[in-house]
Amino acid sequence: MRKYNRTIRNLVCLLALSFALPACEIDDIPDPNSATLEDIMNQPTVGKLNNLVVGSESAMRNNLGNYYDAVSVIGREIYRLSGSDPRFTTDLLGFQESRLDPNVFYITNPWSARYSVIKNLNVLIEVLEKSDLVSSGKLTEAQRNGYLGFAKTIQAHQLLLNLNMTHENGIRIDVKNPDNLGPVVGRAQSLTTIAGLLNEADGHLRNAGETFLFPLSSGYNGFNTPATFLEFNRGLAARIAVYRENWNEALSYLDDSFLDLAGNLNTGVYHVFGTGSGDQLNPVFFPQNAGGEVRLAHPSYITGTVASDDRLQKVSRRTSAGSQNGLSSEYDVFVYKTNTAPVPVIRNEELILIYAEASIQNGALPQAVTALNRIRISHGLTAYTGPVTRPALIDEMLYQRRYSLYFEGHRWIDMRRYNRLNQLPIDRPADDVWTQFPIPFSEGA
Amino acid sequence: MKKNYPLRVLVLLLWLVPMAVFGQVTVSGTVNDASSGDALPGVSVVVTGTTLGTSTDAQGRYQLQIPTSTGRLQFSYLGYVNQTADFNASTTTLNIKLQASTTSLEEVVVTGLATSVKRSNAANAVASISTKELVGTTNPQTIDGAISGKVIGANIVNNSGAPGGGISVKMRGITSIFGSAEPLYVIDGVIMDNSSISSGLNAVTAAASGGNTSSQDNASNRIADLNPDDIASMEFLKGASAAAIYGSLAAAGVVVITTKRGAAGKTEINFSQDIGMAKVSNLLGVREFTEDRVRSTYGEELVPVFIAARNAGKLYDYEKELYNNTGMIYTTRLNVSGGNEKTRFFVGGLLQDEEGIVKTTGYEKKSIRFNIDHTISKLFDFSLSSNFINSSSDRGLTNNDNAGVSFGVALTSTPGFADLFPDENGIYPRNPFGASNFLQTRDLMTNNELTNRFIGGLTLNSYLQESEGSSTKLVIRAGLDFFNLKTLAIFPGVLQFQSNNNGTNGVSIQGNNYNLNTNYAAFLVNNLNLSDNTVTFTTTVGATSENFNQDLALNVATQLVENQTNLNQAGAVSASQTRIIERNKGLFFQEEVNYKDRIIATAGLRLDKSSNNSEVNKFNAFPKFSLAVNVANFDFWQLDAVSSFKLRAAYGEAGGFPPFGAKYTSFPLSNIGGNTGILIGARRGNPDIQQERQKELEAGVDIGFFNNKILLEATVYNKQVEDLILFQNTQSSSGFTTRVVNGGELRNKGLELGLSTVPVETAGLKWDSKTSFWLNRSEITDLTIDPFALGAFGNGYGTFFIEEGKSATQIVGSNADGEVVKMGDATPDFQMNFQNFFTIKQNLTFSFLLHWKKGGQNVNLTQLLFDASGTSADYDGDDDGDGVINGQDRLGSGTAETWVQDAGYLRLREIGIYYSIPKTALSSVFKNLVQNVRIGASANNLFVISDYAGYDPEVSNFGGNGLSTGVDVTPFPASKRYFFHLSFGF
Repeated sequence: MRKYNRTIRNLVCLLALSFALPACEIDDIPDPNSATLEDIMNQPTVGKLNNLVVGSESAMRNNLGNYYDAVSVIGREIYRLSGSDPRFTTDLLGFQESRLDPNVFYITNPWSARYSVIKNLNVLIEVLEKSDLVSSGKLTEAQRNGYLGFAKTIQAHQLLLNLNMTHENGIRIDVKNPDNLGPVVGRAQSLTTIAGLLNEADGHLRNAGETFLFPLSSGYNGFNTPATFLEFNRGLAARIAVYRENWNEALSYLDDSFLDLAGNLNTGVYHVFGTGSGDQLNPVFFPQNAGGEVRLAHPSYITGTVASDDRLQKVSRRTSAGSQNGLSSEYDVFVYKTNTAPVPVIRNEELILIYAEASIQNGALPQAVTALNRIRISHGLTAYTGPVTRPALIDEMLYQRRYSLYFEGHRWIDMRRYNRLNQLPIDRPADDVWTQFPIPFSEGA
Repeated sequence: MKKNYPLRVLVLLLWLVPMAVFGQVTVSGTVNDASSGDALPGVSVVVTGTTLGTSTDAQGRYQLQIPTSTGRLQFSYLGYVNQTADFNASTTTLNIKLQASTTSLEEVVVTGLATSVKRSNAANAVASISTKELVGTTNPQTIDGAISGKVIGANIVNNSGAPGGGISVKMRGITSIFGSAEPLYVIDGVIMDNSSISSGLNAVTAAASGGNTSSQDNASNRIADLNPDDIASMEFLKGASAAAIYGSLAAAGVVVITTKRGAAGKTEINFSQDIGMAKVSNLLGVREFTEDRVRSTYGEELVPVFIAARNAGKLYDYEKELYNNTGMIYTTRLNVSGGNEKTRFFVGGLLQDEEGIVKTTGYEKKSIRFNIDHTISKLFDFSLSSNFINSSSDRGLTNNDNAGVSFGVALTSTPGFADLFPDENGIYPRNPFGASNFLQTRDLMTNNELTNRFIGGLTLNSYLQESEGSSTKLVIRAGLDFFNLKTLAIFPGVLQFQSNNNGTNGVSIQGNNYNLNTNYAAFLVNNLNLSDNTVTFTTTVGATSENFNQDLALNVATQLVENQTNLNQAGAVSASQTRIIERNKGLFFQEEVNYKDRIIATAGLRLDKSSNNSEVNKFNAFPKFSLAVNVANFDFWQLDAVSSFKLRAAYGEAGGFPPFGAKYTSFPLSNIGGNTGILIGARRGNPDIQQERQKELEAGVDIGFFNNKILLEATVYNKQVEDLILFQNTQSSSGFTTRVVNGGELRNKGLELGLSTVPVETAGLKWDSKTSFWLNRSEITDLTIDPFALGAFGNGYGTFFIEEGKSATQIVGSNADGEVVKMGDATPDFQMNFQNFFTIKQNLTFSFLLHWKKGGQNVNLTQLLFDASGTSADYDGDDDGDGVINGQDRLGSGTAETWVQDAGYLRLREIGIYYSIPKTALSSVFKNLVQNVRIGASANNLFVISDYAGYDPEVSNFGGNGLSTGVDVTPFPASKRYFFHLSFGF
């Protein structure tokens, strides 16, 4: 009986166990798929900081295609024909009753892509502010300044791209705390803040030692040390200064930038592309004579200059015209020749034109003519022979900007700065030239 | 020692009682069909109030040793009215004649994890589909097609017509907006994975920017792997009141699938062969071009191209070229079943080979099932189910795309005067009107999903205790569902969109997806009969454990070596991997009380915890209660015409997990130039996220007239989902576009009416008819976050919009004045089906299923794309007579009303006619070798009557996800299928 009891008891225990089993603990499973915010904030390392830097550089390219399409279509530089989304030829051009919608990809996607980079860099900044990396000797103060200089420069650039779209509607500047975002502020104040951010970065970069601790892609070749990165930073500052019409300031920033009147026009900082794992291809490249999804040069681009202008090589004659919804062009946009061609962030040619613009506005007309001739002659035009007056040179400067910076996202913004949007060509009777994009719906503004 | 005394008594009761008693009487007899007199094999014979029983052999004979000398036997058989008969020491021979039932009141429905209840006693309106309804009329391609239009209370939408299925099932409305809105599938106790795994087509279509996978890749559901012919019945537990016992897994309902099993007796062999064909069910047509039309759409320059093509007779209807293939369908099935008293088996084999309505697409499936039931001794028996499936589907390239490469998008931009046909050297011309030559794409690409899957389940019953009033069993169950899904999408470098600087000189996208689900459960079930069978208690306590593991690896290889497709034969490879790991544990208790089949009350409680929750070790409790009163079973009921009258009510709660990973803010990879980087994810995690909780109350009345020849079932329900998990659209300037929050409440109210009748029952003709009507109304009753849009493509075309006080499935859009207003609702006004079976002179059967969906809108962007390219068939008409032709009218309307279109339909889903060769004729030819021969013809989707201006009103660009059904972007068109059937029984 004793033995039998034990058997029974064992059986009962076994049963009890089978019911008790589920009561045992479940382990919390960490995210098996990627790093998490908690992990980065709680266990920061130099390696993770560098991952954030690289990720930010990489993500500056996210949605660049939609950005360039949106601003270039409205600026009447290109037609974006799409078999899969007609809104490039309707909303963006104000076809009939169509208008810009605050909840459509052309504004929402680029907008959030830029703020994603800003957030990524804010995580970097927060780690640098809160962690003990410096006090524990894992990072020198100079190296820390290097990260901050990079982060704030790039944040300023990303904010500017969004402001380019929304213009007077403004952007949100204070976005550090997702639960308590600052207000959407207007254009003037935004530009002031962006300029301030670049100047903060300037201060960091001047105290960042000889080298950065983080890697940058080949797009920053020549600009990947604190001193040379600062030249890039000052170039951006000069762009913002002319947007703010602070002409003296622009000229002084140019002094510290990589402006080189005699130098290669294409020197500058670029987004690079590649087929590597997790990398991206150039989103603004389409091959010649493609169908379905195409970017065509606005016909006015071809007719607006002389045949010797080598900037006509930025377009390519198609074997047959492309057309959709009453728009037609015989030329493809062909600024980028391959799907890994780099896209400039800012380059010397723009700095020369900024120099020309600031000089004109400052009354230094001969200097402006010199700079403009540098551009003209480089591109197969003859030296400037028109009147050397402020209005005439502004026309000339805008003309050179139009061709030199074609499809680099400047035309619409330039015409807007000079209140000339009404001079942009209208293709269909009821089309509109929009001044700015609405703030994305999600901002609730 | 004293303390242990009660435990010992219990143990003794549990263990010693069954061993202490011996058979005292042997009862035997035969069971026959009351009308034909045929012997009925496999009839269940059970001593009432116990689990003691047997089943009849092939000659309808049974024999049963019974420990008591008096008692009552219950005889039950699917499709027949149950019968009981008393035995005692002198009456030991009971010959029974069972009446065929005209209704399904006697079938059992699952109400617990280890218990079931007769339908006539059930408190829930559980929809069930028998094998006859599932596959009896025609041959469905997959299980998802087989249930379409048949389930009262469910909105079932086929995502497209692509081979291999793809379906969205919403039972009693939407139950979750971002969480799992698809039901849990349980097959023979095994939790079956129903993922829809993207094959990474986004890498070429760019349908969703910035990612390798997207929900627009038109993936199939893995439930499609099942062989519909293996299934004995499917039950649909539509809401928490019926499914609470499944706890957190049951938010969207549970589909309980029972497969066929063998019966003791002669071995039955059934062989059947179907030959059929598939044709596109509806084409939209193409625009007929004239010189003027070419001029206005394409400009003067293309007029000569058009004239040349016209003069050469080279104006093509590319829609027909693409979609008008006749796909041949071959289905071969072999079922073998049989066994003896101790061991019964069922073997089901399937070979299926189908070609699609687009050349080079198709579906192949091989499935073998082996089910075995074995009685080890009086104390133990077990059931084993095993199923191996190999399925392969070639699904083409359809749906939304931003690169102009999918068949449909390229078709919309291509006029008939383009020349896309290959020359004599097999060189395809470039399509000047699109990014791709879709004929070339179709002929040279591959998009294959290859699944190898094993599903196995084991149930072990131990009869711990058996006495006159009480029986106790321990049920231990283990289930395993393993599959490997290989997706292979190859776009060779020679394709228009991969060559000459377009694309990446060839892409090979290969996914290797591993899925392993295991689930374990143990239950103790006690049946207790109080005095003279007046009150029965069924008590269940149990524990469950579920483990889900999914590992999805996707590689995208580009810059391929010419003609090579291996991942390493490439200039660049991009890899991604997603792992999903989930551990759940649960406890439950259920008590059911049955008073003389008059009052049946149930109460249950499930406790659940999961690694998906924010607090992994906190139990969530899900109670349920139900009450059914069979008024007609009371003695006072004198109304003979009303043979049954049941009032019922049930309440239950169930949970819904947050989506996997919702608690984390993740950093996906973001590399550049060979450096490794990370970028903060667009979705902000929420470490405090809670489960969704659904509370459902349903009530109904079931009335049977004239011996239940007319049966009316009416149900109303109110289903409240609280703590709704929402991806709150955050201000994207925060760096996040969404945040996971518990942010609202959703209510579904609905009505379900079912009427089963036998309008005619004579010797020569029997007509069974079932008519169902159902409707659902949802409302967002509370929303703590801002109203938000989701799904579809923005206000300009119509988008879903979640807003307090409005239907959860409303579609809003911008009207011509720029105001965002409601334009429709994806939920139908109501649905009805009309299902009929006619049996003529025993040998000829004729059946059909009509399905009517009234109302419900789609967002028709297929029409938009045709219009935008000026290729729609009706482009030049002027329907509204305003002098502006349709195409431009629609395109320039500036209002989303143009694209939000009514998607109601009346559809003849299935029709079939079969003739069984009379037995007398058979035996004169084959002696007794061949038992039956049946021939037949059937069709599905024979006609669809709809005003909808797309291929088919049943469509979903975004697959089965959440709210997104009904968005139509150049889908794979639906097909009609015609069959000849031949089957032999041995």
